[in-house]
Amino acid sequence: MKARNFVLSVMCCVAYSGISGCTAVQPWERGNFAKPHMALDPDPLGSALSEHNYSSREGAAAGSSAGGGGCGCY
Amino acid sequence: MAVTKLKLTKTKPKRSANASLQALMAAALALPGLIAAPAYAEDDEVGFQYGHYQEGKRQLFDAKSQLNPIEVDSLQGSAKIKLADRLKFAFNYTQDTWSGATPISTAPVTRNANRLRVEGDINSGATPLIGDTQGVFDKHLTPMKLSTPGDLGSTVLGKDTRLVHTLSFASPETRKQGDFKLSYEWDKAALDMGGGISIEKDYESRFGNLGGRWDFNQKLTSVSAGVSYTNSHTHAMLDHDAAPYYFTRGSLNPYDNTVNFATDSSGIKTIDGNKEDWATHLGLTQILNKNALVNLNLGYTHSSGFMENPYKVVTFMFVDPKSQLRPDGNYNGYYASLLEQRPDERNQWTENLRYVQYIGALDASLHFDYRFFHDDWGINAHTFELDWGQPLGNGWTVTPRFRYYSQSAADFYQPVFLAKQGLPGAGILNPDGTANGKYPSNLSLSTLPSSYSSDHRLSGYGALSGGVTLNKQFAKGVNFEMGFEYYTHAGSLKLGGGSEGSYADFNYYVANAAMKVNLDALASADSGHSHHSNSDHHVGHSGHGSHAPAGVMFDHALHKAGYVMVGYRYMYGNQAGNILHGDSFANDTDISKHGCANNPCSTAPTYMTMHMHMLDLMVAPTDWLTLMLMPQFVDMNMNLHDLKGAPDDPNPHVHPGGHATGGVGDTGMYAITKLFDRPGHHINLSLGISAPTGDVGVKLRDAHHSGDLFIHYGMQLGSGTWDFKPALTYTGELDKWSWGIQASGTKRLESKNSSGFAFGDIFQSTVWGGYNLTDWLVASIRGVYTVQGTIKGEFNGPHLGDGAEGRAWGGSQDYTGNYGGRFWDVGFGLSTMIPGGDLRGNRLSFEWLQPVHDDVNGYQVERDAALSATWSYMF
Repeated sequence: MKARNFVLSVMCCVAYSGISGCTAVQPWERGNFAKPHMALDPDPLGSALSEHNYSSREGAAAGSSAGGGGCGCY
Repeated sequence: MAVTKLKLTKTKPKRSANASLQALMAAALALPGLIAAPAYAEDDEVGFQYGHYQEGKRQLFDAKSQLNPIEVDSLQGSAKIKLADRLKFAFNYTQDTWSGATPISTAPVTRNANRLRVEGDINSGATPLIGDTQGVFDKHLTPMKLSTPGDLGSTVLGKDTRLVHTLSFASPETRKQGDFKLSYEWDKAALDMGGGISIEKDYESRFGNLGGRWDFNQKLTSVSAGVSYTNSHTHAMLDHDAAPYYFTRGSLNPYDNTVNFATDSSGIKTIDGNKEDWATHLGLTQILNKNALVNLNLGYTHSSGFMENPYKVVTFMFVDPKSQLRPDGNYNGYYASLLEQRPDERNQWTENLRYVQYIGALDASLHFDYRFFHDDWGINAHTFELDWGQPLGNGWTVTPRFRYYSQSAADFYQPVFLAKQGLPGAGILNPDGTANGKYPSNLSLSTLPSSYSSDHRLSGYGALSGGVTLNKQFAKGVNFEMGFEYYTHAGSLKLGGGSEGSYADFNYYVANAAMKVNLDALASADSGHSHHSNSDHHVGHSGHGSHAPAGVMFDHALHKAGYVMVGYRYMYGNQAGNILHGDSFANDTDISKHGCANNPCSTAPTYMTMHMHMLDLMVAPTDWLTLMLMPQFVDMNMNLHDLKGAPDDPNPHVHPGGHATGGVGDTGMYAITKLFDRPGHHINLSLGISAPTGDVGVKLRDAHHSGDLFIHYGMQLGSGTWDFKPALTYTGELDKWSWGIQASGTKRLESKNSSGFAFGDIFQSTVWGGYNLTDWLVASIRGVYTVQGTIKGEFNGPHLGDGAEGRAWGGSQDYTGNYGGRFWDVGFGLSTMIPGGDLRGNRLSFEWLQPVHDDVNGYQVERDAALSATWSYMF
């Protein structure tokens, strides 16, 4: 639980500093975010395959999204 | 459990091919209402992916396993399209087929559970032993090694504390999942809903989700939230070789799950259970500066119901410390297996941090993810992931990635359990190992833990993986990708120690290849090309109607050098109903007497279903030549029934629920040339080779001690032989009418494949006519005649129907003379070329093939129907 509280507090700090601390980035300054490799998930097909393999071999893979899904418990 | 996710905050950027496009976009972003939030506008896109998972061999110490480790073939298709200005629809289809050996339990090495069994001519390698066996334990109840495992009279060689996985082999199984997402975008918000279904023979899962996103702070900040519900049902058939053992425990019945015993003579036992998951998540995405953004996600999942893996058993050592010692001062006891028991509730929390940084000097991106997972089963897990996206110029991008994962064990996990009591239902042993005729008194369940599992997924371990993805973006919006990942699981990699021993270590690799087509980019790239105008290219193409119905291949070539076509082709075929002999119905007595060559027949197919997924990639290097590559992915399903009145098979082959196979099929490579090409009349010649990339060595698991057997001929994934495939096609059109005729064939270039047989040659002729109902819709009718020979040769290893001693007789599907025949079909087709909008130029065709007459070789189940569906886009 200790680790969890630590993680939560780090996340809160990041979130807070993110909202309050960052300078306003004007829309025309956001060109870099339009690059394909800058997406949060640049390769959804590939990561779906990896996630499926992790989830069939690891104890913690469930609950990584609010999507739902099948088993494939090989 | 979670597989393909409909990520609620999933973002996808505009594919910008060059700097000027980026500058244009940056300018466009400045316009009110067009400002992309941290989540970008998604383009219309179609994607296909194939992945292969291959696990390495496990450490088995004294036993040598000939079982192949588990491998999985996965196929994914996805489409994202704009239904209206702000309304989007996304659809995903996933299918996995797996087979091979995985751990069914963990046991002391001294139990010799992976024993080598040689019976008759079959060396079946290690087959799992999970029934009761006797063993010797020292004063501290530590297992002792015996010179003959299981024989209490043999020499005690000393203490042996080593553990080993007990491996079990599974016949091929397939899972299919379809899911969708419908989303609506406002200027500063989005709402989406989705759902899906995943189906396996023994597991069915349905799910739905709802999510939203709000952008504020000039779209520097986005907040998202979502909720989902999943309902899953397990209907597991227990291993028919093992099931007799783990229910006979005298009065001890620790199973709180429903175990159903079949009422028929098959002796099949099934477990049924239901599970529900409610999941929620809350996310925040923040642009930190013009080069960095951060995403935080909190998730909570509540699961309840049946969460056991019905195929995992737990090895218990039953030793009664009050029993009489052996003369050597040790105890006699038992090893026995129980089905695992997990709690009926699980609460899971995840905290996920993702950070994306742009590295200007290298035009690269750095992705860093950290995830913390915690549940009330006692598992704490940390995941670190690092990706480096590096564009190399000319549309190439290389992305090396690295991942580290570590988890602590679940509270109720132990590799092996000790029960300090006699084994219920088994006799109490004298010091010399003989039974004394008495049985342990009734025991209360309180002597066993309330939950127990030895599933290594719940153990404490760490995992390291690394991989690389190579991506090539073509200017026209087509993207090819290849990836490789190597994964190593080891107890010693766990953070902070206290981990599982090295016996449980394993590795796997995954290789994948994908193709993505951005339809928006295609459409915009296309409008800039003056060399082929709309009328020539799109409308003209559908208008002249030279495309044949969906079920016809090799009918057209590309028009000009430099043209490219990408397409996807799906074919479904079903055989079900009566068994035919020639062109008339055969009764069970007739089949059992004559359907299996010189042997009696005990079964015949009830149905056989086949699905084929093909990619259609065409390129024209010159005006007169078109090259075509066609990789295939197939899966098949078959069920059998006993023949009434057939003599009793002394070794019946029982398999309720049928058999399934699937994976990569054969790969076709073709060259198509125009022999004659005038307005209204065209003649094309196609010459092709089919490479035997489909597996023809697919086997059934070793059941009923009959060894590993080749599965039926028709269930193998390819021909196994190099095949020559020519086709000659004439097509014509006038006004609203179009027509065509084609002769095609398949000639096996080898007399037998690596499994000892070759399918019969095929000749097919077809004729069709079409009528343009509107500018963009064509209806067609077609007649087809096909003739195919019988199978040459025979499986060169043990298989059903080979007449060997102790083997099930098999059925008509196991005999080479019962393949091929003469077949007549009528096809009804519809074909459309989308005339306008974002999807302009996409071509969709469907054709239903209705068998009208069958004249089969030998005995075969009649054909029911077939469907072809194609999508293609030329540019």
